[in-house]
Amino acid sequence: MTNVNIKPSIINYFNTRIIPIDFEYFEPKTLNEALELLSKFGKEAKILAGGTDLLVQMKIRRKTPKYVINIKKIPELAFIRMSSDAIHIGAATKLRMLEKSEYIRKYYQALYEAIRSMASVQIRNMATIGGNLCNASPAADTAPPLMIYEAKLKLISKKGERVVPITEFFKGPGITVCEPDELLLEIIIPKPPTERFGSKFIKIARTSMDLAKVNVAVALKVDSDMKSIEDVKIALGSVAPTPIRAYSAEEFLKGKEFNEENIRKAAEIASAETKPITDVRSTAWYRKEVAKVIVRDALTEAYRRATR
Amino acid sequence: MTSVIEGFAFIGKRIPRKDAELKVTGKAQFTSDIWLPGMLYGRILKSPYAHAIIRRIDTSEAERLGAVVITWKDVPNKLYNPRLVSIEEDTFKDWQILTNHPRFVGEPIAAVAASSEEAAQRALEALRIEVEKVYKPILDPFESMMPGAPKIHEKILRGNTEIIVENNVGATLEYSEGDVDKAFREADVVIERRFKTNRRYHFTLEPRGAVCRPDPDGGITVWSTTQTIHNTKILISQLFDIPQSKVRVVKTYLGGGFGSSIHVNHVTLIAVALCLKARRPVKLILTREEDMMHDHVSYQMYFRIKAGTKRDGTLIAGEFENIMDIGAHQIQAYPLLGTALGWFVSLYKWRNIRYVGKAVYTNKVPACAFRGYGNPQVTWAVETVIDELAEELGMDPVEFRLKNYKGKGEIFWGQGPTVRSVIRSDGVPELMDVGRKWIGWERRNKLPKTGRFRRGIGVARGFHTSGAGGPISGSTIDYSGAVIKVNEDGTIDYITALQDHGGGTLDAHVKIIAEELQVPPKKINVVPVDTSFTPYDVCTHASRGVYVGGEAARRAAQEIKRKIKELAMRYFEQEYKERPVNFEAIRIKYDPKVNDAVIYVEGTNMRITLSELAKLAWQKNWGTLIASVTYRSTVAPPSFTVYFVEVEVDTETGIVRPVRVFAGADMGTVINPDLAAGQIHGGFMMGWSWTILEDTVYDPETGELLNKGLVIDYKIPTAQDTPKLKDFYVYFAHTYEPTGPYGAKGIGEAAANPVPAAIANAIANALGIRFYELPIAPERILEALKKKEKG
Repeated sequence: MTNVNIKPSIINYFNTRIIPIDFEYFEPKTLNEALELLSKFGKEAKILAGGTDLLVQMKIRRKTPKYVINIKKIPELAFIRMSSDAIHIGAATKLRMLEKSEYIRKYYQALYEAIRSMASVQIRNMATIGGNLCNASPAADTAPPLMIYEAKLKLISKKGERVVPITEFFKGPGITVCEPDELLLEIIIPKPPTERFGSKFIKIARTSMDLAKVNVAVALKVDSDMKSIEDVKIALGSVAPTPIRAYSAEEFLKGKEFNEENIRKAAEIASAETKPITDVRSTAWYRKEVAKVIVRDALTEAYRRATR
Repeated sequence: MTSVIEGFAFIGKRIPRKDAELKVTGKAQFTSDIWLPGMLYGRILKSPYAHAIIRRIDTSEAERLGAVVITWKDVPNKLYNPRLVSIEEDTFKDWQILTNHPRFVGEPIAAVAASSEEAAQRALEALRIEVEKVYKPILDPFESMMPGAPKIHEKILRGNTEIIVENNVGATLEYSEGDVDKAFREADVVIERRFKTNRRYHFTLEPRGAVCRPDPDGGITVWSTTQTIHNTKILISQLFDIPQSKVRVVKTYLGGGFGSSIHVNHVTLIAVALCLKARRPVKLILTREEDMMHDHVSYQMYFRIKAGTKRDGTLIAGEFENIMDIGAHQIQAYPLLGTALGWFVSLYKWRNIRYVGKAVYTNKVPACAFRGYGNPQVTWAVETVIDELAEELGMDPVEFRLKNYKGKGEIFWGQGPTVRSVIRSDGVPELMDVGRKWIGWERRNKLPKTGRFRRGIGVARGFHTSGAGGPISGSTIDYSGAVIKVNEDGTIDYITALQDHGGGTLDAHVKIIAEELQVPPKKINVVPVDTSFTPYDVCTHASRGVYVGGEAARRAAQEIKRKIKELAMRYFEQEYKERPVNFEAIRIKYDPKVNDAVIYVEGTNMRITLSELAKLAWQKNWGTLIASVTYRSTVAPPSFTVYFVEVEVDTETGIVRPVRVFAGADMGTVINPDLAAGQIHGGFMMGWSWTILEDTVYDPETGELLNKGLVIDYKIPTAQDTPKLKDFYVYFAHTYEPTGPYGAKGIGEAAANPVPAAIANAIANALGIRFYELPIAPERILEALKKKEKG
């Protein structure tokens, strides 16, 4: 019986009920007020959009902000607006509101399916799309669909605005390009083609209310011959430090005929592009295996939707 | 769903639950809803090491913050076992309320109380521990038994006798019957398999907690999450040297137990210690993470089963080895060694039996009973072996089971060797017959067995005891009690210590009393009680709530009925002087027109309602109508269940889906059909989750639970994961248990016990692959399929 060197558990500093840390709480009523606070507090501030992630992280001490800025009371941050070539979604728009939008259900099927697969109705009534993105979980379900629709994110600070393609937004687990004084203002999703186009989202999880072991979104445009693939986008989540696009698989498929062999090959390529880990939800091996299956399934369904 | 009850006024009828409105409107008070003036909030300092010796704790900063602090030095230094269901000489004691020698990550070392939960948490974080020694944790029971492995316990107590622990084995049990070796030599088919079960968290809606109040008379009042208020009272009294008459444990609503509160929850004892030191009320409610990380978990069992049959399908030998990983302390390890054997021997007529059971310590969360008390694990293993034997013999698995199971007239001892009796009611043949027709049993080998989506049908049969009573006293305590009192307006107060976990047990009691007295259930009040004025009840466990507690209630009601008749006789004699009444001719019957029980003499106009009679008794100084009963059942009859499950396996993802489920239950008379069906739906889904989803995995280096107690990393199915109602057929057998209240038996655990086996057998039928380790998660299925493809 020797004395061994074992890292002590954080068991006494970890729970999802009590917030023993002190922080100052703000409830700005306008965007300017919020940006003012952000520029003043910078890194020490955290934005509360829905709170379904932030509050848990504060309780388990993953985040210990000195200032919490609730943006739920700012009306200009929650909206769904259609323009001729895109849909604009305010960052603080509740997932439930998006799920109930007929327009999203019709034109952005993969996004609709992703939102429907997230948590419970109660949580979707709290959680926001901006929160899901800025939390930057590798498993964020809204990320792969937004990637295949080539969404752009408008960030704003006191210094001005900038627009970042979603593929450049995530930097690592919990990390984005958003500067400490910046706020995600809106998500701009270009309108997909209305013809010969289909999209699909699939998630593999342990139960119907769970984070993804693997998720995938696919957008597919077929040629006028209804056989060859004119354009395709494939994005996967929970298989790398950030949600990823499977560019090689996309390149492989472009211009090719939609058939079982090509789809199978593309799925293999997509799977090879992933770098999953083993964690409590699943194993790296399983994630790679199943990524192949759901990429294939998603492509098949997107093709069916494009050609119906 | 079928209903089989005729001729009763209330039993078997669909009546809204008495506590439904309170619960859906949030008015029902659970432990965590209790608030008392001047109350402090407690938090526990948990061991950050799986096995260590703590030299000292610096409490000065926490005390400076205004907190009340207790360490192992402030609590009674007595070894104890939190479960008092076994008699003292069979109770193994190795627990301390707080310890300087933690043996698992999370074992309580100290505790604080402060004016808010946040303040308490800050005080907790201000405690500084100085560690003397840290040992490498032992997480595997086989490693734990190896010579030279670090000792987890040196000395423990059995009753009041000190025993030395050898090789980290906390308790052993061996048993044999007949000549096993000879039987195996004579057997035509012999199968031997090894099994490993999973370690599952109970996941009740409510985490464990307690609120304590010091009373002016030197006593203490306690509200706590418990399946037994009386055993809580006794243990607090024993540990803190307070007379039992001054420990009042109040029964509150309980948000589920599933066995995790048969033993007195550790948190309750710590709350009592804090309350006694602070001399103020203290509330101590575990967070979900604490509840999962260090409070309770199921027993993980490793089996070896060897079974032999003759060519004609007659079982002739069964050998059973059972190694149980009990974690760092004993709760009911020793009784479970006996009960696991009881499950084994009572499932089939093995004829020759040999058993070795060992309960092994590891540096993990102490394991406790969990719905079925080892029965789902044993049934999974046995029903797998039975399926394989049938295949080997070329016999229909249903016929093979019918030929060899223990049914009516056989000796049954499910709860262990000291609890034997004869089976009097048995619905197995009916359930097998109805089930196989409904599911289409003959289709099972014609379903798709190639391609991506493959289907299979599996059958499994099981049982659970109704309580743990027996003809001799044995080593298990099992009796209950009831008090019934008729108020002066004819309403009825029902007083019982028996806890309702939330499944509606007490609603069944109300219906039993209503039937006996012919009084509408609405007029029966289930009195909020504490230990000071209730007769002893051991615990709501072992599916005994309705069978034992309900019979106590029925007997009390029966006595009240006799007294009602006596008073009615007195009234009839005074009112109808000229007509002598024969006592035996007095009847009681529910009259829907007056919505009351009516006492009458058949063929005469002599009648009086219960409310009129109750008022009369008051006005005429005839005294109170009251009865108290204490009751022990001399048998613990089996409730049989049969599941036929059809599954679909996606061979590319390994995901299994329940397609159709036949859930057949022989629970005797069904008192509450909707709630009984609810137990069966819940039992199936819980079993489903055990089979394909759940496990608690530990970090091999630190001995810490890898999911850190977070619910997002320990999943159980939601309503969305359940089969469609039309595909889930609940069928009740037409049986009557002569020893039960109105013919009833238990259901809570029988509802779940054969589920893992039925699902596993269905997966085997679909894939041609057997799994001997739970859970049969998609990852495992996919790996096995890839391996099989490669050959």
